[in-house]
Amino acid sequence: MLVSSAVVVSVGLLLGAIGLGAFIWAFWVGAFESLDEQARCILDERDLRMRRPWETPGQARERRRLYGGPLEPGPGEWGGALGRGGR
Amino acid sequence: MTRIWALLLGATAAMTFALVVLVAIPRVQLRTLEPDPQVPPYTATQLAGRRIYVSEGCVYCHSQQVRDPSFTYDTLRGWGRPSVPTDYSWDTPHLLGTMRTGPDLINVGSRLPDRSWHLLHLYQPRAVVPWSIMPAFPYLFEVKPAAADGDVVVVPPSPYALPGRVVVARPGALALVDYLLSLDRTKPPVATPAAGAAP
Amino acid sequence: MTAPAASTDVVTLRDLDEPGRVPALVAFVSAVAWLLVGSLLGLVASLKFNFPDWWTGWAPATFGRVRAAHLNAMIYGWASLAMLGISVWLVPRLVHAPLRWPRVATGGIVFWNGAILVGVLALLAGWTDGLEWLEFPRSVVDPMLIVAGGMVGVTLLGTVLGGRARHLYVSVWYVAAAFVWFPIIFVTGNLPVFRGVESAAVNWFYAHNALGFWLTAIGLGAVYYFIPKVLGRPIYSYQLSLLGFWTLAFFYALNGMHHLIGGPLPTWMITTSIVASVLMVIPVAAVAVNHHMSMVGRFASLRYSPTLRFVVLGAVAYTAVSLQGIFTAFREVNRITHFTHWTIAHSHVGVYAFVTFVMFGSVYYVIPRLVGRDWPDGRLIAWHFWLALGGIGAFVLALNLGGVLQGLALMDPQVPFQASVEAAAPWLAVRSLAGVVLTAAHLVFAWHLWKVLRRAPTVGPLPPWHDPRPVVVPPPGPWS
Ligand code: HEC
Ligand code: HEM
Ligand code: HEM
Repeated sequence: MLVSSAVVVSVGLLLGAIGLGAFIWAFWVGAFESLDEQARCILDERDLRMRRPWETPGQARERRRLYGGPLEPGPGEWGGALGRGGR
Repeated sequence: MTRIWALLLGATAAMTFALVVLVAIPRVQLRTLEPDPQVPPYTATQLAGRRIYVSEGCVYCHSQQVRDPSFTYDTLRGWGRPSVPTDYSWDTPHLLGTMRTGPDLINVGSRLPDRSWHLLHLYQPRAVVPWSIMPAFPYLFEVKPAAADGDVVVVPPSPYALPGRVVVARPGALALVDYLLSLDRTKPPVATPAAGAAP
Repeated sequence: MTAPAASTDVVTLRDLDEPGRVPALVAFVSAVAWLLVGSLLGLVASLKFNFPDWWTGWAPATFGRVRAAHLNAMIYGWASLAMLGISVWLVPRLVHAPLRWPRVATGGIVFWNGAILVGVLALLAGWTDGLEWLEFPRSVVDPMLIVAGGMVGVTLLGTVLGGRARHLYVSVWYVAAAFVWFPIIFVTGNLPVFRGVESAAVNWFYAHNALGFWLTAIGLGAVYYFIPKVLGRPIYSYQLSLLGFWTLAFFYALNGMHHLIGGPLPTWMITTSIVASVLMVIPVAAVAVNHHMSMVGRFASLRYSPTLRFVVLGAVAYTAVSLQGIFTAFREVNRITHFTHWTIAHSHVGVYAFVTFVMFGSVYYVIPRLVGRDWPDGRLIAWHFWLALGGIGAFVLALNLGGVLQGLALMDPQVPFQASVEAAAPWLAVRSLAGVVLTAAHLVFAWHLWKVLRRAPTVGPLPPWHDPRPVVVPPPGPWS
């Protein structure tokens, strides 16, 4: 019992240390830097400029101001059959 | 791409941590458990019956565990004493179950010790318990013009009777009932250090 | 946070999507086929409660076999294949590198299908390992699944490791980690060395983590992608996504024993899991707040985007199922609900209203980009959505209510067992009706998929998202 507990405790400590190490390492290599950029890396220019029919006039204006003239959405743009009974 | 390695390592550490807590430590703790001599290993027939219990999916409607009386009334239903780890020393796969569409069965052998009751109940539950929603298992039986030597005959009452023919239990049904009758964990468990509600 | 070096990335979205096209299509189409098979099996299983003497003469149609086949066809057939499809499509986009070894991925997906086919037939033939969620025979089907999943996992992890993106988006964490987690738990769950209560503990360690680290992980990965992508604005708080991910990783893995509350296990194991279940409030709230705040002011988008409709509802269901689960994990509640249809209701809120809805939304978004044309008929999408929503709503409400009534009857030692059966009976009939509605929804969906696949290629210009356009990292805006 004593031996096995010692084994288990040391394995637990080791794993904890690995987890902590991974965290510190991640911090070190910059995983928690420039979070805003990270959040934006899935959006490209088209995503940002595209006109979205659901946006309020204010939201649409803001989009134009930031990203320039609107692009028109294409068929299937948001997952299907827009404007053909798609609502 | 060092970040992805940090991510994968952290993810693995989280999982391994849980593996140690919920799989490795219990293994160490439960290994010291001696089987209870009052719960003998299953016989070959009982094991064959147990395999039918598994393959026909009885576990999806029947649990095999009596919960702790400190917060449930399982014991007051007459289902037996609270279950302990040594009740299951020979169980693989385990059949603790997560549903009670039907009653708990861990002590059904002591509660219903009659083989012909079980056979009839398996052939047609509603012949014995009219409100039952348990499926009938007619394919565990054979319908013949006449019984041969050594056949175990089931006699369904009307409206389930089959005039002019007899219903005979196949070996699978007999084995299954053998297994059901072996389900009896009513004797107080022989205390072993880690048995029962361990720390 | 200065303007990033956009010009270093010269890949186009099309370059990224193209290699994953075939494996994603194969995965989605076969997933939908399994959805239909699973629906039929679920419906038969449900009707067996209402008509216990229906179709009893043929062993493969007995409830116990059909139910196991239903679970496995749905979880490993429909949900897992759809998740493999979304993974091979999404990961290249996220790490800005085309899918590595796409043929290996396709082979893996085809082989996975073969494994499921063998497995489901084995279950119907009565050949099962007998452990819930691990019924597939471990001598044949499980090794096949490990090889098939490994083939897909290798291509995905290879893609991630060779990725060119400067950042790992939160969806990558969930998806990449899922492909590390799943093999660990699946192998552990199938080790043939456990018996008795230990086998029960490992069984539920596996099954719970299959929910938390496989279905939930990839489901949330997809939600984290589609909400910002369709809305065209970043997720509300990236810090919250970090918090949500790591707390999920550490707490969820300890949850498994809450499936055995009151059972014959050492009490400390169950208590550990109950505590970890309550701690799940942290990741759940982090994810819920994050998604909600990203949607605020833009809920009108649900009228325009079928994808968002399904995905946002799925995200709401994720919060709902988790809160229900936390509630259910308390001993005071669990003693009543544990062995009842309440659990089945909870299951379907999770695997249907959350995971399945998110996968529906994903399929609606991805398929047009795989075949280069739009879905032909918006009305069919509307039918699919409302039938699915109505069906699952009725399913869950009926079983929650029926389950509580059943549980209260079981908890009263003065009432005979019969009372618990009769309390649940009418609600089980409602469930069957709901099952018919859900099956109809799935038929509409499958028919629509068939139509979009069959339709001649669009004449005229390709949809604009087919334009080769550089993938750029945009400048930060005020919506962070
Ligand atoms: C669809 C759910 C369901 C399945 C599957 C099922 N049962 Fe049942 N079972 C019930 C219900 C409900 C009852 C209570 C009514 C009755 O006694 O028939 C019951 C009662 C029983 C009883 C009597 C218990 C008692 O205390 O009265 C036994 C024994 C039993 N079942 C054995 C089996 C076996 C063996 C199998 C598998 C071959 C099986 N059951 C499959 C629902 C099910
Ligand atoms: C914080 C989150 C969650 C908690 C605390 C939780 C808690 C629980 C508990 C206590 C049970 C056991 C019920 C019983 O048998 O008495 C359970 C069962 C179940 N949960 Fe959850 N749950 C959570 C989230 C989810 C999610 C997200 C899903 C789906 C993706 C899900 C799917 C299921 C399923 C399918 C079962 C039934 C398992 C079975 O018996 O086969 N849960 N949950
Ligand atoms: C057509 C729609 C569906 C119907 C009619 C249906 C019906 C059923 C039935 C009757 C059961 C058995 C309940 C019991 O044992 O008492 C069940 C269990 C289950 N189903 Fe479904 N289902 C449907 C859709 C789905 C989908 C889409 C999934 C997964 C993606 C799914 C996953 C499951 C799971 C995991 C269980 C086991 C639940 C547990 O053990 O708690 N089902 N379903």
